[in-house]
Amino acid sequence: MISVNAPGDPVERMVVASQDGGETAAQAINQLEQKKIWRKKLGLDLPIFYFSLSPFSFPDTLYKIYDKNEREALGRLIHQYGNWKEIEEYYASLNNFYKEQAAFVLDTNEIRFVDRSAILETLNQIRFEALSLKSSYTASVIDLKISNIEKLLSLFPFLSKLQITFSTSKANYNKIKNTSTVWKNYIPKIIFYGYKNQYHRWLFGDGGNYSKGLIHGDFGTSYITKQPVSDVIYSKIGWSLLFSMLSVILAYLISIPVGIKAAAKRGSRFDKTTSAIFFMLYSMPSFWLATLLLMTFANPDMLHLFPASGVKPALGYPESASLFQKIKASIPYIILPLICFTYSSFGFLSRIMRGAMLEVLEQDYIRTAYAKGVPENTVIWKHALRNALLPIITVFANVFPAAIGGSIIIESIFTIPGIGSEAVYAIQNNNYPVIIAALTISGFLTLLGYLISDILYAIVDPRISFKK
Amino acid sequence: MKEEAANMETSIEMKITNDFSFKKYAWSQFRKNKFAFYSFRILLFLIGLAIVSPFIATDQPLYCKYKGVNMFPAFSLATNCEIKNIDGTIEMLQYDIADWKHLAATTIIFAPIPYAPNKTDFENANYVSPAGKQFFLNNEGQSVNIPLKFRHWLGTNKRGEDVLSGLINGTRVSLTIGILSIGIASILGILLGAMAGYFGDHKLQTSRGAFWTFILGILLAYFYAFSVRSYAIVDSFGISSFSILYELIFSLLIFSIILFLFYWIGKLVGQIAFLNKIVTIPVDSIVSRLIEMLLSMPLLILIISLSAITKEKSIVNLIVIIGLISWTAIARLTRAEFLRISKLEYIQAAHAMGFKEFRIIFKHALPNGLAPAFTAIAFGVASAILIESTLSFLGIGVPPTSVTWGSLLNSGWQQFSAWWLVFFPGIALFVTIAVFNILGDGLRDALDPRLKK
Repeated sequence: MISVNAPGDPVERMVVASQDGGETAAQAINQLEQKKIWRKKLGLDLPIFYFSLSPFSFPDTLYKIYDKNEREALGRLIHQYGNWKEIEEYYASLNNFYKEQAAFVLDTNEIRFVDRSAILETLNQIRFEALSLKSSYTASVIDLKISNIEKLLSLFPFLSKLQITFSTSKANYNKIKNTSTVWKNYIPKIIFYGYKNQYHRWLFGDGGNYSKGLIHGDFGTSYITKQPVSDVIYSKIGWSLLFSMLSVILAYLISIPVGIKAAAKRGSRFDKTTSAIFFMLYSMPSFWLATLLLMTFANPDMLHLFPASGVKPALGYPESASLFQKIKASIPYIILPLICFTYSSFGFLSRIMRGAMLEVLEQDYIRTAYAKGVPENTVIWKHALRNALLPIITVFANVFPAAIGGSIIIESIFTIPGIGSEAVYAIQNNNYPVIIAALTISGFLTLLGYLISDILYAIVDPRISFKK
Repeated sequence: MKEEAANMETSIEMKITNDFSFKKYAWSQFRKNKFAFYSFRILLFLIGLAIVSPFIATDQPLYCKYKGVNMFPAFSLATNCEIKNIDGTIEMLQYDIADWKHLAATTIIFAPIPYAPNKTDFENANYVSPAGKQFFLNNEGQSVNIPLKFRHWLGTNKRGEDVLSGLINGTRVSLTIGILSIGIASILGILLGAMAGYFGDHKLQTSRGAFWTFILGILLAYFYAFSVRSYAIVDSFGISSFSILYELIFSLLIFSIILFLFYWIGKLVGQIAFLNKIVTIPVDSIVSRLIEMLLSMPLLILIISLSAITKEKSIVNLIVIIGLISWTAIARLTRAEFLRISKLEYIQAAHAMGFKEFRIIFKHALPNGLAPAFTAIAFGVASAILIESTLSFLGIGVPPTSVTWGSLLNSGWQQFSAWWLVFFPGIALFVTIAVFNILGDGLRDALDPRLKK
């Protein structure tokens, strides 16, 4: 659904990218053929969904017109006049005219006395006008273009053959105007297409011809590189996963002791300062912090401690490097992004840990433990901690998606080759298969986060079990 | 009988207001929280700034007397002014492109910041620092030190656009997007959450006929409101934000009128023999599944993907997208609250008195169930503002012509030596988000009766 509503025609771009914009007739036909092939490969020659809700005046086969502008123009014409039969005739006659003038052969006898370049120029203009007429829908524009073409056709006597064809188009257009049935636009109609549609194909594949379908792990073809999207995603997911995992683990490792200490010494200076810092961190936009860090620590004019972008040395790892050496070489690149990934969930988690601990410390059994003479450290780290951990585990299901969502901006600032930066690049280039794949993967990872938090629940709290 | 009940209702209400007002109590609690109260004042200041920003940061003067003609360019709705010269020729003064700073006017009063956010000052292009040397082309054509009133107090960016003016106008964009989008989200969230919590899975019952008529009504309402008008809506994107808003509101109006019509038709249809069988609608399950579906995607990625498919970039688009997606937190909290309220005795009493369900929900339950939603709304505005600035920072949210905090930050990211482009918009963003977060915390504390001492 996304690719249909989206601006720009992917096939148009893919074909143009593969050629250098040929202008001769042979090349144009070649282009048309290529477009058809790509359309079939991408499944864009199918209806969008299993059914569609449209006005009664619309035909059920409008999706078969492959040029996006022409399809839009036809839709708007139907919207204006509501008589598809006449509009179809008009469109067919225009196509007819366009084909005829493209195949128009100059008879050398007839053009002996005329300047050849002038004729070619006129023919070119006619071609251009006819092409734009096919994708115009406003009455005034159509009238203008029709009169333009007529003027051009009357320039040379031997163009009269074309004039006959064109006069049918004009008559057809007038017929549209005269027999308009606008009321048909206000009657709804549901059209069923069956399972041969883009959505079904995207989900289940088309029997293995071009697409295996999402449920078999096939995300389609990237509009830019023409590679399978799955390859793009699998090659990028490593760094994204590494960063979000590391950051979540790090955030938990720091925030649990800090939150506990703040709660144990409630009202102390440590508690107040950490609370203020957590709150500030929590409200700080990550891209601002990232920019500030880059400005301070990766700026040749200030402190040049860390490299500004990438995840490994610009020339790649040395060939003989062992895994340990590779990690060592990458560490300076990882530190700044990791800070950005970690800090906001760290502030959030510490606040929750502190709150949970405060609640637990007021319970009776803690007072009993103190009364028994259990040392403070044992009370806090043994008796209180387990119960205070529950809320912080609950929010694992929020922290993990936040880390994945945050990757989109931090990865593009630090130019980390992960899914986030790939998604931004895809959005800027209207590369929809990649966008959808990134969305699906991140949704999957989020669900994984929920699962993990559920399992951790059962581990921490023996009262909770999944057995019935 | 009904009148009696209504009388009783009002008398009960009066008693409540006379004895104790939760609103007054909550307000006094809120005022005790120093941080929250300060941030409330900062918020009022920001809203005020956003409202007057077209008059305090603009290159059009507030007042100008030129050749005997009085003009108020910044306030007037007209875009130009015709001035008759002594020799009879007519001079046309186009307000938005006139060179006011070099106009030989008798009196001229500039706005405090005499620059528009997206207009270039060629003399001070290419990252002029706030503390650095700034230039001004005087009427003789010489480049001199800039007069104090024309100074760029917070510097300029690469194109020579004033940063302070961009900041002030960015306030308007940010607050508009934050508040309006969460407005949409709260309407959706409170409605759905209240219905889910109040009715649960078993309490909303209707006749078979009414149910299917209503489903048909939704289809038809969608058809007439959006399918038939799709070209009008698409075209409005090319015109202006107002026309988009107008078309959308018109469509929504059609949508609700048709739904309402079918609601009544359904009541009639539901009395026919076969169609009057009672069916139960599992509202709670439907809403909960919807929330879970939305929650399974990271918010930012979902919004970015959706804003990528819209044909035109516009602020209205962004507002609608953020609004349609971020209602889940509000709905969850409202649902939980309504689950509790629907079991309270006064609701049962209202039932016993024969009040209609919708009256009970909106008049009796809703005022008590709103407290948690307020907290979620405050946090929601903060996150909406953050999302907007993130999108502008990446250059995929708002149209490139509008200057926002995010787009200013983006221009600073490209040039590290221009610290003022990173520092000031960041501070503005940070303060605004912090204000809404503190407000959310304060509201939670003030509105939670369990914390009552």
